[in-house]
Amino acid sequence: MADFGEIIETRYILSEEQLNASKFGFSEVFYSGSPTVYSPGDVVNLPYTTGETSTMNALGAAWAAYASGVGPA
Amino acid sequence: MDVPSVTGIQPIRTEFSRGSVPNSILRMDRESAWTRWRRGYEISAGVGIQHALTYPFEYRVPYPDGTAPTEGRQPLILGVVQGFPTAGKEFGVHWAGCRVGAILRFDNVTDSTGALASIASVTEDDEYWYVQLSGTWSSANPLPAPLYVPNPSGAPLKPLLGEIVEDRIIIPEGVPVTHETLNPATDKRYGYVQALLIDVDGENGILKLQKTSSFEASPDNVYLTPSTRKPNIGRYFTIGTRYACSCQDFSRRSYAFMMNLDGKEKRRFPHTKPSLLKYGRHELITDPNSGAIDNRAMTDANTNRDLTLTIESIDNPGVFRDFGGRYLRNFSAARRAEGPTTFVDYKAKDNQIISFSDYWSPLLDEMRYCKHIYALRFEEGILPPEPSDLPVDTSESLTEWEQKLVHESSVTKEHIQRTNGLRALAMMDVPPKNFQSPQMLPMMQKLLNVPASFIRLENFRMQDKTGAFYNPAAGEYPAV
Repeated sequence: MADFGEIIETRYILSEEQLNASKFGFSEVFYSGSPTVYSPGDVVNLPYTTGETSTMNALGAAWAAYASGVGPA
Repeated sequence: MDVPSVTGIQPIRTEFSRGSVPNSILRMDRESAWTRWRRGYEISAGVGIQHALTYPFEYRVPYPDGTAPTEGRQPLILGVVQGFPTAGKEFGVHWAGCRVGAILRFDNVTDSTGALASIASVTEDDEYWYVQLSGTWSSANPLPAPLYVPNPSGAPLKPLLGEIVEDRIIIPEGVPVTHETLNPATDKRYGYVQALLIDVDGENGILKLQKTSSFEASPDNVYLTPSTRKPNIGRYFTIGTRYACSCQDFSRRSYAFMMNLDGKEKRRFPHTKPSLLKYGRHELITDPNSGAIDNRAMTDANTNRDLTLTIESIDNPGVFRDFGGRYLRNFSAARRAEGPTTFVDYKAKDNQIISFSDYWSPLLDEMRYCKHIYALRFEEGILPPEPSDLPVDTSESLTEWEQKLVHESSVTKEHIQRTNGLRALAMMDVPPKNFQSPQMLPMMQKLLNVPASFIRLENFRMQDKTGAFYNPAAGEYPAV
């Protein structure tokens, strides 16, 4: 079972060639772990429970505040 | 009698007005989505995505002023910004952004009684699906924001129009299904449908989805377009992947160049010929404290700026030169072409951009993408559908054009990776420090789909190569 915020679908698995191509300039780049976590095309798991402010709620609050002339905190 | 020599005289092959004004075929070729799709493939396959310029981020959506943060997990927008070093831009790099899928979930949408807004029923006509959401909706209790935002000073706002919705949630608070998820009861794949949100009837709880450009992940694990079925009743929608780019092509404007492109400094005074000025929007980035114009591309990571928009204006002379123009190819049910652009790709309130759409009617692809966004989509491994608008009446064959493109890409590969990459970082800051520059703020607003004033630098957390998050506004750095 996926945890909160985990990527549940990705098509973006870096190959050895891609990692080599990410070398910048003439310097060596050393990686430990995955060099990118969120990538184009990912789908994440963000379930919010009752009582939490979900991203949907937060975006709604931001737009509603904007329509009333209220800015961010 | 003098007889004029006819050897140097050519018959007139041009058509009326084909002088400084491009004709319709030239315009169509210039705006061809197919060439962008093909160039995107070349970037992805030939030049390669520069992962040294990949910036994954987490955006903590700010609460409105006067609202106390709630307990529990905080609202997040997740995404990644990818840099494309280029010689053709003054600041040396184009930044394409991707907001990952499923950050918005309709199992967090409730009516006044707390009922969840699952898909209750779907009706359809030739062009659209009309999705009735569960719950009790009325003019007193309309769909909640951001689907439908009552506006004290005018028509309600509908910020999610133009987003892709996908029926990927089977049970509330469940994990969104993928194209491979099996239904344990039947041992078949669930599959899902994605379609573009065209309109919201907030008072009746109805979403209008477009059939053209819809996608289906079928139970056979293949992608079909357009979708062969309507969204599944009983499921909950999520929101799909969204892209935006800072390049001139995606933003449809050319910048004034202060220097020449070979990197040698040569200061120029920005000017725009009056004949090139067009109607469009006029954006100013200002310091919120002093009100002074602050168009710097490099600032501190904790300096927020305001975006001011003057509408019904002309281009900002000397800064932005051309907003571009296009003929839309899509046809309505009446088989009537949509005609020339009217530059209405955004909505504004009190001189602030409140939502961007795209005046390019969706055809196969939901937005009119630039080659950088196509490159990202190719890298996903899902072949973006091939647009059908091949350039016509070109002086060279398409085969020659492609061969030249492949050759140029291979020649410039080394150059782009080294010289341009280094130059790019010398000219412009990296995310998130550049997010409030004039080149990036409108693009980030389009990507995150929050009001421009809600894009705050201190709310970005960047992810380093180890996967850990750091806060640049607090002076934190990635792991080395």
